[in-house]
Amino acid sequence: MPNTEPVIVVDKLCKHYGALRAVDNISFSVNSGEVFAFLGPNGAGKSTTAEVIETIRVPTSGTVTVLGMDVTKRKAEVVRRIGVLPQNFSSFDRITVRETLQYYARVFGCRADIDALMNLTHLRDKSAALFNTLSGGLKQRLGIAVALVSDPDIVFLDEPTTGLDPHARRQVWEVLKGLKDRGKTVFLTTHYMEEAELLADTVAIISSGRIVAIDSPARLTEGDAKQVRLTLKSIDAAAVGLIRKLGFCPVPEGDDDLCVPIESPDDVRRILEEIQRCGLALGGLDVRKPNLEEVFLKLTAEPPAARSQNRAA
Amino acid sequence: MTPRIVVANLSVRLKSFYRERSAMFFTFAFPVILVLVFGTIFTKPEHLNFDLPVQDNSRSQASARLLEALATGNAFTIRPVPVAVDATQYAKEHRLNLLLVIPKDFEALQRQRVVGPNAGVPVPLKYVYDPSSTSVNTKIQLLDSIVAAANQKATGNPPAIKLFAQSILSERYRFIEFFVPGIIAMAIMTSSLSNALNMNAELRQKGILRKLATTPITRADWLASSIVYQLILSVISTAAILLVSFFVFDVRLHIGIWLPLILVVEVIAFVGIGMLLTPFAKEAESASAVANAFLFPMMFLSGTFFPVEMMPAFLQSFAKLLPLYYVNEALRAAMIFVDDAATLRNFGVTTAFAAIVFVAGTFRTRWDKDL
Repeated sequence: MPNTEPVIVVDKLCKHYGALRAVDNISFSVNSGEVFAFLGPNGAGKSTTAEVIETIRVPTSGTVTVLGMDVTKRKAEVVRRIGVLPQNFSSFDRITVRETLQYYARVFGCRADIDALMNLTHLRDKSAALFNTLSGGLKQRLGIAVALVSDPDIVFLDEPTTGLDPHARRQVWEVLKGLKDRGKTVFLTTHYMEEAELLADTVAIISSGRIVAIDSPARLTEGDAKQVRLTLKSIDAAAVGLIRKLGFCPVPEGDDDLCVPIESPDDVRRILEEIQRCGLALGGLDVRKPNLEEVFLKLTAEPPAARSQNRAA
Repeated sequence: MTPRIVVANLSVRLKSFYRERSAMFFTFAFPVILVLVFGTIFTKPEHLNFDLPVQDNSRSQASARLLEALATGNAFTIRPVPVAVDATQYAKEHRLNLLLVIPKDFEALQRQRVVGPNAGVPVPLKYVYDPSSTSVNTKIQLLDSIVAAANQKATGNPPAIKLFAQSILSERYRFIEFFVPGIIAMAIMTSSLSNALNMNAELRQKGILRKLATTPITRADWLASSIVYQLILSVISTAAILLVSFFVFDVRLHIGIWLPLILVVEVIAFVGIGMLLTPFAKEAESASAVANAFLFPMMFLSGTFFPVEMMPAFLQSFAKLLPLYYVNEALRAAMIFVDDAATLRNFGVTTAFAAIVFVAGTFRTRWDKDL
């Protein structure tokens, strides 16, 4: 279970590239033992933020501390306490899985249990395989094993499942659940909502370099509870006027479907009774609470023009 | 700098190298092949022999004596050309770059030259040649020298001037002895510069540098492992070149303390250039092009394959701006002339150059900018 001791504190962080504000005055903290998912569309500033925390990039302004250490002043100490899986992890082509792990263990100067790491990431039977013979999923799992080789306090995973097929993605999720069970603090950068919903304790959504929401996945979706949607499938066109008379605002969806924002199960009953009373044909229905993806789309739906204006200095 | 990390990097690089056969071939076999090819061509020039097509329209004792003189010394092997054909047309049709034509009245003209109204008039001897041929000038020079010797002999007097050769070196040195140090210098330059450039470009393109940036590896660790790795390759490559030269061509060069010192400085110099060029090679594919843009001018203008003195004056001046020129000079001074003063002078220039590019290259190698 995560506790309330912050291990990452980001305070008023800015990272600019000329006129471009890649990260624009963001602040948040990550508690020990939690899985913190950093969500955002492509180019939102996710990786840049992660790279500043990982000590790879120097912030334009603001401060970042990891385990109480300023990342710009104590880089050498910080890198020994963190493990990083970069986006599209790659390694030396003609080095085996075991040799890769041994290499990073030597670099960190630690006595890593290579066999245990391979077991954790389900790579034991690929121990002697060269890196360039591994599939995308196996490479990512090796990348996670490499990130864990120094038994770090915090693990940074930058889009660990991007480009993987659904099967390989689920294999990586199993590994990440294992990390969570071991109490590791995980900073997960992703644009897969399902991944964040499944694994994260806290989700921060970044858009155009700014954090637009930060909370647990459940609370983020609860916040939009009034946006429960009733979808009426293959419904007669006359139903639009009928439902409006009941005080709802139906929105056509596709050729024959109708989407109606509702607030309670009683609204469903009222609408269905009215359709039945008028004898209108109905092909089917679907009642759904908004998921994280819908919250994400809503929060990051800023038009591109406005976004670029906001980001330019 | 952490020795443990340097050893870890070195181990990974050597394993990668060992498992990539093509890299091994180009690093070790290519310079050895160059030694074998050039050694075979230039080691025994006394066996130089050309075919000389001759149309003997005279078919006389005088023409027979001339042909005998031409064949003496194995410079030419006489190939008869039919008398009835047009010599120029025949040369064109048979792609001959030189064809000697002995006139029908060759013997009569020789007699008339001694006595009679035409006494003293030279006997004309025509050759048909292809000026576009690269080897024809050598053949013509040989032909000229044989004819000149025959003329001199015909006078019956001893030659007025005679040349005597005295080499500045002991007699056992041949072209191959001059060539081998150049090949050593070239092999180390190519390997050091290309590997430094390709490795950095490839690691950056694949994102491995980004991963390494989140580990305790420092710039100093990375550079030290690059240099030690290149030194190991250089020692193996140099040993292979020297062994092949010795066993195949009996090349005996002086191998003293200067050789390893020059190798170390050359590796540092060209790894430094590789690091300086890394920002210009954004991808592994462009790394080769960037490397070649530097390697080829140095290979051909620094006196590796032929002496710098053979080049025009402005190119000679340019050659002296190239670091490989000083490496070649230092190696030859140390391994052939055994001239410590000349070695020290050229070694000093190379060392100064290495120090400058290495320091500059170190500052250009930035993990964060390399991402």
